[in-house]
Amino acid sequence: MIELQKDELLVSFPEVHPAAKLQISFQRTLRIPDDNQDYPLPAGLGRFPLHHVDDANTPEAWRRHGGVFLPIHQSEALWISFGSENEYPMAVKVATGKINAVTGKSWDNALQARPQDYLVTPDQPWLDGFNVAKNVVRQFVAREFGEGLTAEEQLTGEAEWGGIQLIIYPMKAEEYERRLARDELASRSGYFDILQCIAVGEAVDMGLAAGGRIRQIIEKDRYGIEVWDTSVHSRCFLHLLNSRAYQAVTGRNPPPSPCTPEAYAENGIPWFDYHGEGLGLPPSSDLAGLDGLAAALAKQGKSLDHNVPIKVTDTVLLGPSHRQVKDGVF
Amino acid sequence: MKFGTYVRTRRESLRKRNPSYSLRQTAGRVGIEPAYLSKIERAEFAPPGEDTIRALANDLGEDIDVMLALAGKVSSDLQEVIRRRPQLFAQLIRELKNLPDDAVLRLVREVRDGNW
Repeated sequence: MIELQKDELLVSFPEVHPAAKLQISFQRTLRIPDDNQDYPLPAGLGRFPLHHVDDANTPEAWRRHGGVFLPIHQSEALWISFGSENEYPMAVKVATGKINAVTGKSWDNALQARPQDYLVTPDQPWLDGFNVAKNVVRQFVAREFGEGLTAEEQLTGEAEWGGIQLIIYPMKAEEYERRLARDELASRSGYFDILQCIAVGEAVDMGLAAGGRIRQIIEKDRYGIEVWDTSVHSRCFLHLLNSRAYQAVTGRNPPPSPCTPEAYAENGIPWFDYHGEGLGLPPSSDLAGLDGLAAALAKQGKSLDHNVPIKVTDTVLLGPSHRQVKDGVF
Repeated sequence: MKFGTYVRTRRESLRKRNPSYSLRQTAGRVGIEPAYLSKIERAEFAPPGEDTIRALANDLGEDIDVMLALAGKVSSDLQEVIRRRPQLFAQLIRELKNLPDDAVLRLVREVRDGNW
């Protein structure tokens, strides 16, 4: 079951175990330069607002898909946050335009172990992009359909689905109880609060392109595929609405512009490096072949705005013995 | 309990600890005449409009929907929700009206999964 509360997807499986819960939110963030340097993790700058597709003047196709939507600006970045109060393990498949963000393969509901095409929470606290190289992802960056820039368009030649697709499977209750008794469920996830940044910029449907490179490990499943309860699942289609259309679709004021690198630096917002204890998954050859957004635009004789290298000075190290970063409002 | 009695009881309770909850000062903050507030509390006048009730609820730290219900009203935002889909919400409320509190609270709205 998935509920929408306070701009978060609350996933629960009460029929499996009362503790089987997962919170998923979509974080605004700094779009890092696409300059073939590897950057640390940028901070979260607040949740994107989420709405049921049934609650606004959304396209007919979105209503067929069901799910939710969020407003995002052209070339704005996002990362996906997985929160777990009870630390109940879940297997989560993430796709954009029905292209699996871990393997680059076309969507299917089932979990695959070889290669592993899912994340395991809470070991994996967030996902910033496409699995393109060893311990490197290319950042999720929103682009309008029809430009040929999204991962879906590059890999399929079609602009059909867009958005983000999720399916979540809980750990089997007996596996959870057994591990709980043996205290084997200690979370490896780092944790940090969200920092707020005051951003100092009709095609409605959008997809995700591959932006700059971020150092991020996609954790290997340390439990094995047999522990997941595949008799139940929850799915959600998250649609990406071009911010220009937000007021027309919802009647609400448009969201603020994305944070610029200058504002990020002026407000002293740190960067993060996360060192988990697990093994990272190998990269996807399909996704490794994606053109980064800057290169894809260059092929069209265009350039990516605000794409100047950033000098990273303060990096906070996160890991199993994490240090909490306090909320701040700038 | 009647609306006026509720307001007076609550205001007098607050005044025991905080003198700023006198009739005059409360009326001043809410933006009405003290004499008018006095007549409302003594049920000599009907309950005021939604805006004044809202201001009173805010000042006294009371729940707005409870205050409005005591005054025989429903907040305008709830009215708008019902007006947009009157048959749906009328049916929902009639079917739920006899359920115990915990059963009503268990009702949640799920994110709908469709065809994709």
